[in-house]
Amino acid sequence: MDQFVRVRLIQCNSLDLNLFQFDYDLTFAAFFLNADRTIYGRFGTRSSQKEASRDITIKGFRKAMEGALELHRDYPANRPALAGKTGPQAPFNIPQAYPSLEGRYTPFLDYQGQVARSCIHCHQLGEAVRKEARSQNTPMPDSVVYPWPMPQVVGLVFDPDERATLKNVTTDSVAEKAGFQTGDVLISLAGQPLLSTADVQWVLHQADAPTVLTAVIERENRQHELELALAADWRRASDLSWRTTSWDLRRIATGGLLLVSLEASARAQLPIQPAQMALRVEHVGQYGDHAVAKRAGFKKDDIIVSFDGLDTLRRETEVFTHILREHQTGELVPVEVIRGKEKLKFQLKIQ
Amino acid sequence: MKTSRRLVLGTVLAIFFIGTAVSHAAENRDAKVRNDKNHVEASGQWIYNEFDRALEEGQRTGKPILVTLRCIP
Repeated sequence: MDQFVRVRLIQCNSLDLNLFQFDYDLTFAAFFLNADRTIYGRFGTRSSQKEASRDITIKGFRKAMEGALELHRDYPANRPALAGKTGPQAPFNIPQAYPSLEGRYTPFLDYQGQVARSCIHCHQLGEAVRKEARSQNTPMPDSVVYPWPMPQVVGLVFDPDERATLKNVTTDSVAEKAGFQTGDVLISLAGQPLLSTADVQWVLHQADAPTVLTAVIERENRQHELELALAADWRRASDLSWRTTSWDLRRIATGGLLLVSLEASARAQLPIQPAQMALRVEHVGQYGDHAVAKRAGFKKDDIIVSFDGLDTLRRETEVFTHILREHQTGELVPVEVIRGKEKLKFQLKIQ
Repeated sequence: MKTSRRLVLGTVLAIFFIGTAVSHAAENRDAKVRNDKNHVEASGQWIYNEFDRALEEGQRTGKPILVTLRCIP
């Protein structure tokens, strides 16, 4: 650690968004930089509310730091390879410039007053990004709906104790078809050196759809080049349900309902087709805009079997995507539920 | 009458205790934020919330910079 200048940032207020672009649903993120603001890499990954060690470990963080020191030793000769680690010009330079945050927060924390309330949390920034996209009244791009895709989406499962070593490659996945194998060490992706899973996510976050990403891997002491071909809708296998920002997506798309996929044993007892959707209402929002579904008549444990005329939306995330792409604020969608032995129909207002 | 007095008293007490709890929680959170700053600065291991100062130190020492972004629990 002594080989680094160490700085801890505890707020998003006035954060330079042209430099600090990361997954705003994280509760911990790290950057490794040169003092000229060249980014060596990122660290910090999350795919669950409760199982942090699934994605990041102290061992992995140590390996990332060692990798950053290697890149620093080789700098500036390696500058071209690092160029892609800095993102495009941000639409707003600082969080409080976003319309949904404007006028509500000061540039710095109010240590003399209510300091906690004066803080912009990272997830508020993620919500601001989506609200800005929503305000355009056009279908929300997949890149905004599904930020920072997990590598699992394309079939790459990394060992959190290493920088970028594959613990598993999902059968029949895009990654398997490209030739990735368990144990492969990813040296680079899209020409960028990798310090951690977060660096892989960064490349995926920036990737077009469709596109082909070139990876250099090391296998049995030899390097190979592989091509990862991503289809137009590659991001849609992502799971958004764990994200803090999904709380606002529930406001928009489900009127405040939290939906979970029904277990197989419970599905078997319902009068539905084998492939039909069955999403159980786990929670009904009680206040304000999060109570729209409650006011429409939904109750906890209702089973949604049709949403906006579709019975193929098998995950809550798919409901989000459908609404964000197909409907604007104020529109009504029909929803069918099974409640006990009854089949009921409601009209849900989209926000 | 006795019942309505009890109801009023119970409501007042409930509002008082809930309000106190909310206020106490907010005070605790503010205290945690202030204590975190004091604690981290006292340790001398980290620059606290001053990115520009970290850049200056990086320029001066030639060291790379490690930035962590984490809200206070």
